Amino acid sequence: MKEELKYVIQNISHRKLRSGLSILSILIGITAIFALLSFGFGIQAYIDSIASEAGVDKLFIQARGIGAPGTDQNFFISKEDIDFVKKQIGVNEIVGLYMKAGEIESRNQKRINFATAFDTKYLRLVEESFAIDIAAGRSLGLILGDKVIINSKEFEIVGFYSSVGNPQDDANIYMTKQAAEELYGEDIKDKFGFAIIRAEKGVNPTELAERIKEKLRKHNNQEEGEENFFVQSFEDALQTFGNIITIINSVLVLIAVISMIVAFVNIMNTMYTAVLERTKEIGIMKSIGARNEFIRFIFVLEAGLLGFIGGILGVILGFIVAKIGGTTAANAGFSLLKPTFPIWLTLGCIAFATLVGACSGYFPARQASKLKPVDALRYE
Amino acid sequence: MIKDYFLLAYRNIIKRGLRSWLTMIGIFIGIAAVVALIGLGEGLRGAITAQFGILGTDVLSIRASGIDFAGPPGTAVINPLKDDLVDKIENVQGVESAFNRFIDSAIVEFNEIRDTGFIGSVPTEEDRKPFEEMLNLEVEDGRLLRDGDSKRVVLGNNFKDEDNRFRKSVIVGDRILINKEIFEVVGILKRKGSFILDGAVFMNEDVLLDKVRTNDEEVNIIAVKVRDENEIERVKENIEKLMRKERDVDRGEEDFIVESPQAALKSLDSTLFAVQMFVVIIAIISLLVGGIGIMNTMYTSVVERTKEVGIMKAIGAKNSAIFSLFFIESGLLGSVGGVVGVIMGLIFSYGSAALGRAILGTSLIQAKVSLPLIIGALAFSFVIGTIFGSLPAYQASKLRPIESIRKVI
Repeated sequence: MKEELKYVIQNISHRKLRSGLSILSILIGITAIFALLSFGFGIQAYIDSIASEAGVDKLFIQARGIGAPGTDQNFFISKEDIDFVKKQIGVNEIVGLYMKAGEIESRNQKRINFATAFDTKYLRLVEESFAIDIAAGRSLGLILGDKVIINSKEFEIVGFYSSVGNPQDDANIYMTKQAAEELYGEDIKDKFGFAIIRAEKGVNPTELAERIKEKLRKHNNQEEGEENFFVQSFEDALQTFGNIITIINSVLVLIAVISMIVAFVNIMNTMYTAVLERTKEIGIMKSIGARNEFIRFIFVLEAGLLGFIGGILGVILGFIVAKIGGTTAANAGFSLLKPTFPIWLTLGCIAFATLVGACSGYFPARQASKLKPVDALRYE
Repeated sequence: MIKDYFLLAYRNIIKRGLRSWLTMIGIFIGIAAVVALIGLGEGLRGAITAQFGILGTDVLSIRASGIDFAGPPGTAVINPLKDDLVDKIENVQGVESAFNRFIDSAIVEFNEIRDTGFIGSVPTEEDRKPFEEMLNLEVEDGRLLRDGDSKRVVLGNNFKDEDNRFRKSVIVGDRILINKEIFEVVGILKRKGSFILDGAVFMNEDVLLDKVRTNDEEVNIIAVKVRDENEIERVKENIEKLMRKERDVDRGEEDFIVESPQAALKSLDSTLFAVQMFVVIIAIISLLVGGIGIMNTMYTSVVERTKEVGIMKAIGAKNSAIFSLFFIESGLLGSVGGVVGVIMGLIFSYGSAALGRAILGTSLIQAKVSLPLIIGALAFSFVIGTIFGSLPAYQASKLRPIESIRKVI
């Protein structure tokens, strides 16, 4: 085996330029695939971590209607709905949230963001659900105690939440229920756009969601399909989101795989050339006793080695590309887009590249192995 | 002379049969992917942007600023537009007419199936005609709304489909329930190609305010028709001036937006374009790989024909002639790959669009392969062939005749 490997490496390094180009062609594809997959797995890992921490016992009710929750005034969850759900078996606690557009002004800069308000008695429940944490808070250039103006009323900043990883949610303003009622007027009082429920220990949130949906519907005398709300567990909602991301990512990876097909053809081409060039050599090897399998093996090995080297270099380059991409995204506020590099992704990419190389070498290798020694020796 | 070059290049390509094909496969897979993806993206973008209804060049829309994409315009806003503003805007110089538009959501029921839907207002009395003209509202069946149609509605064309969300085609004379109240359908609009307009219920303004609206004074959007479309920028500034005064804000701190539908469309279109470009860049990677394949083949070809080049040079061929010979050969490889690739791309994009439409049942999936795209793809494949072929060609042109002839491969 060592002898064969040495022979193959000699051949590859003999044709430096052409081997280099073949390796380059496979490397480019692997780079793209590795980088795209690392982002896909990063997002999936992020979703899983939230789902297992925040989402395990929580579900939400959202008012139906068109647009973001809380913006459609024709549909809302009433105080009465909240009280009714609170009494259901399996419900530990429930909190209604206001979600309104708020214009925040600080140092003569104005921005319009969502303002979320809720009863602070349920602070823990909300923080857990949104995976935010005061202790790990950010400072955003503003400092504690700074005054900001929201919808032309002055507010004091008492804390900053940790980053969720996307610019919309990280721009959220959180205030108490009372403050929101003063700010937006009596009109909005007890008309919630969103409510979070904590299930009792051991209760399956998905099943509880179904039950609450049915009970609340009957309570409000609504027929099936007529509900002005919908109930879902956090875990299911996150999974839906995760599935969409996976589909998008798969499409991109599929497109990148096209370049691997082209690389496959390239290596095949290089190997056919190599067979032609070495016809005489093959003839000599055969005439001194080399078997067909041996000839086939060395050509497949050579092609596989080209793929292997391309794979390793591609993974390295892909790692760099993903790191740069991740840093750029984080700087733009999307720290959610964080690539992860599981070891099996690295190994998988290298194995895939090697396999593509070896397969593309198969037909040229078979052609080489079938050469007749006498003809091969005579070949010019 | 040039003809001879082509003939030689052609013969060489043919002679290396399998290898030439393999080289070209690389290019045509890449070109096919790029053509198909741009074609599908173009079609999809066209279909999506066509959704945004009013596209007159003499129209402006006014809305309060807020969080974009949080629902219909005017939902997640800080300081909503008031309904008395429209009269003042109508008096602005250059404005022909201005209308309040109320867009609401409600539960719509038909065939015992309920769903949330958009309800749009139609102004009454003397405002009706100009509004209908601005939105280009025409009925396919029945008639448009009239004053006093208090229990009647006109529906978008989607309601007529057999497979609509109510699983039954709505026809003129049918009754539908909106927030549990019975309305008679008096007309179905012609298809507009916009899922918002085609899926909307139209109601007289007074009826909408009475039956659906919870907050009467707030207006979602004010639509303005200007007298002369060449003056649109001036009118826009005039309106902004008035609005600043009315809402007591300084220049640069406006809490409202006045824009033409084209401007609104542009930002959406540029987002879609960015997404499309990202996908295409990933596809172009495979073209790059194809180009490397050409380079590889050409280097091989130079090595193989070293002796031949030496002989050509010995009988008087100039460096430039040798260069042209190889250059044309690689350009030919690229071009042929491009032609096949474009054909494959055309088949793939139109085929998959038709398949997508059949499976998903939406007319949104369209393919549009334009002539510039085809020409661009062909030119690009030729350029790839020549760029990647120029280095090997240069190497061939620099070969020394004596050494070349002596060389044993």
